Amino acid sequence: MAKSKKTTVDRRSFLKTAAGAAGLVAIPPVIQARPDDPKPRGVTPIMPKDAEVREPASVESLTTNRTGSDFMVDVIKALGFEYVIANPGSSFRGLHESLINYGDNKNPEFITCCHEESSIAMAHGYAKIEGKPALTLAHGTVGLQHATMGIYNAFCDRAPIYLIVGNSIDATMRRPGVEWDHSVQDSAAIVRDFTKWDDLPISLPHFAESAMRAYKIAMTPPMMPVVLVADSELQERPISDGEKFHIPKMTLTSPPQGDTGAVAEAARMLVAAENPVLIADRVGRTPAGMTHLVELAETLQAPVIDKAGRMNFPSRHPLNHSARAGRLIAGADVLLGLELTDFWGTVNSFTDQLHRSSKPITRAGAKLISITSGDLYDKSNYQDFQRYTEVDLAIAADAEATLPSLIEAVKMQLNNDRKSAFADRGQKLATAHHQAIEHVREEAAYGWDASPITTARLSAELWNAIKGEDWSLVSEPGAGGEWALRLWNFDKYYQFIGGSGGAGVGYGSPAAVGAALANRKHGRLSVNIQNDGDLMYAPGVLWTAAHHQIPLLSVMHNNHAYHQELMHIQRMANRHNRGIDRATIGTTITDPNIDFAKLAQSMGWYAEGPITDPKELGPSIQRAVAAVKRGQPALVDVSSQPR
Amino acid sequence: MIDQKRSGVLIARVISRFFLLMAIGVVILGQTSVSAQNQKAAAKAGAAAPGNSDNGKMVFTSQNCGSCHGADAQGGVGPLIGPPPGTMAQFVVSVRQPTGQMPAYSDKQVSDQEIADLYAYLKTMGSPAQAAVTLTGNAAHGKQIFTSYGCYQCHGYVGQGGAAGVRIAPPPISLKAVMAYIRQPTGQMPPYTSKVVSDQDVADIYAYLQSIPAPPPVKDIPLLNQ
Repeated sequence: MAKSKKTTVDRRSFLKTAAGAAGLVAIPPVIQARPDDPKPRGVTPIMPKDAEVREPASVESLTTNRTGSDFMVDVIKALGFEYVIANPGSSFRGLHESLINYGDNKNPEFITCCHEESSIAMAHGYAKIEGKPALTLAHGTVGLQHATMGIYNAFCDRAPIYLIVGNSIDATMRRPGVEWDHSVQDSAAIVRDFTKWDDLPISLPHFAESAMRAYKIAMTPPMMPVVLVADSELQERPISDGEKFHIPKMTLTSPPQGDTGAVAEAARMLVAAENPVLIADRVGRTPAGMTHLVELAETLQAPVIDKAGRMNFPSRHPLNHSARAGRLIAGADVLLGLELTDFWGTVNSFTDQLHRSSKPITRAGAKLISITSGDLYDKSNYQDFQRYTEVDLAIAADAEATLPSLIEAVKMQLNNDRKSAFADRGQKLATAHHQAIEHVREEAAYGWDASPITTARLSAELWNAIKGEDWSLVSEPGAGGEWALRLWNFDKYYQFIGGSGGAGVGYGSPAAVGAALANRKHGRLSVNIQNDGDLMYAPGVLWTAAHHQIPLLSVMHNNHAYHQELMHIQRMANRHNRGIDRATIGTTITDPNIDFAKLAQSMGWYAEGPITDPKELGPSIQRAVAAVKRGQPALVDVSSQPR
Repeated sequence: MIDQKRSGVLIARVISRFFLLMAIGVVILGQTSVSAQNQKAAAKAGAAAPGNSDNGKMVFTSQNCGSCHGADAQGGVGPLIGPPPGTMAQFVVSVRQPTGQMPAYSDKQVSDQEIADLYAYLKTMGSPAQAAVTLTGNAAHGKQIFTSYGCYQCHGYVGQGGAAGVRIAPPPISLKAVMAYIRQPTGQMPPYTSKVVSDQDVADIYAYLQSIPAPPPVKDIPLLNQ
């Protein structure tokens, strides 16, 4: 075969040359056959006799030492990704191979998932522990379609997801059949309404710049998912020895801080207030968030309501008054909302009866201050931005980044009279906090020995088993009836990661595995209270945890139902005066009850259950903790009360 | 896709009502401690002239007490207060210095005399015994329909409450109050009309809730003293 004299070889010119040379050399059938051609059944192709005397095709024309995807891995490594989390797909086969061979499967290490929703949700949980994204990959069409739920949750949760999708943009280069089904003109269109930025680089230098830009955009508050499309030809294009490509420097954007004047005004209002209330939702973007919020609260001696979008405030701090939220909001004269996902819903009550109604729960004349990065960037199609709130001062900024200047502004406005008033207020709040804690414990005692097991008992038993460890609760806020948040002592940044954001069921189990993956190198015991319905969306993530030896303790809150929806259907039946005993149709997961212990064991977990006797729960959890400490994920299936 | 966002609002509202009921329930069960400040408030209000029930009725309406305590003060999200369960002094404290979720009413909002009038009005509303429904409940049947009618979904199988519904065992309000509330709930609870749940069914459920034993004291549960 005539060799090309070009020093730069790309696939197109190679194929043209090969086609032209085909008439000069009779290519043996075994080389000519394309992998996708259907073969007659029962016929094994054999090498023809004349192949022994024919000159073989040049090996150089079928292999290359370096490809575009190798350079992509160079860029990926420059971004510092620890893991690439993905379900494999042919549209990124080049990148996949480069990651595991050229990149030696290190930084990032390939984490195999059984569903793209799992890989995105794993990356979501990971990011909230590590404070940075993991790399995720998805097949350009069907893989990305699977992934959309996870991307939407992360978007609503304002979490960084970094996703590269494979695609075959050149129609003349697609293999017939499946590759056409898996190709799309505009890959990111399906998720553009709930991602922050996307691009389709058409050259390797373009890829490098866009990769850096995507990372920077994802990590600038408000953080959101970003998508980069890696065309298959760009991945698989050979790179000659002489080709060099530049990797741009990555410089992260400083998070936006609040306007100086507005911050000073906020400080003035808070200092002057007799009953200020601080309400925190997604303040804790880094460990500094909790530290700053504690300082602000202590400076003002103001109660904090933690809405648990992140780990915002220590649970047993005397200024934590999350349990008294309703009363405090009703009595407040100034309310400061910090990265609230739903300020309107926080200060209004809404009744879901036949005729819906709402009314403010704040007192007349109460002033509302909002500090949120959400005001900097929003999209319109999906309505996660909640209802418009009439606030008195709106500061468009990252709350955590703004807190230091707000604290300083508050301190500058303090005088002895206000300090004295604050001290008096603080004493009363400390007493009320203690009373609230006692009240929570009294409430937890109801149904203590009941079967199904109460969520209070479940949470208390679990706390008893893990309180001496360096633990991290990687569940959603509502898991286990929120008893963990009410009973446990949270005082470290990584001990809680908030929820899914979009409330899309199926987030819980993979996010827990992803967070546990991040916790692993820190030696933390990751603990998950796992809802049964959530796990059934994509239980294959259990295999991922076992395969990659991700230590995680999952205690099931198994109420045998999609219980939220069960209550909704019950409401409808009641409203219509019919079928009030039929709401379980289409909502419960019974008959048979799923054996989650066997399910987990089948995928390599240590597992016990179902536990129905509360007296057996503590010992079972202890055994599971021991398994996790040995490096194996463990699950305890608990037959639980509904909420 | 599942309507979790709306459900989240539902849960948040129910949670706030949950704490309101529980905290007020603490007051009505006499668990309020009387501090020096409370004694001062009680003494001050006690110096007011004897209450006028007609004026008290107007106060009850103007201050919107019925939104929590029911239009006839028989309870709702808040407990039964007609008649008030304690003395005048205790009533003053529960208005001025509530320990639960009830908002405090200062003397700028409700004067001492108005509290006395309100107390007089509530005392005219008859005793719980007179208001009692005469139905006798069947606890075994009540347990069965407590599940089949879906009550357990929010309140738990033993009425212990949870994130979606308040604790109702032991029942903090009278059978009459329960019946009135489930027919015309003022909060998030869906209505159970007599068309789908008869008065006898309600009595049976009430009997079941009354049959549920009280929990052990918290001090006897080591896991709750960590």
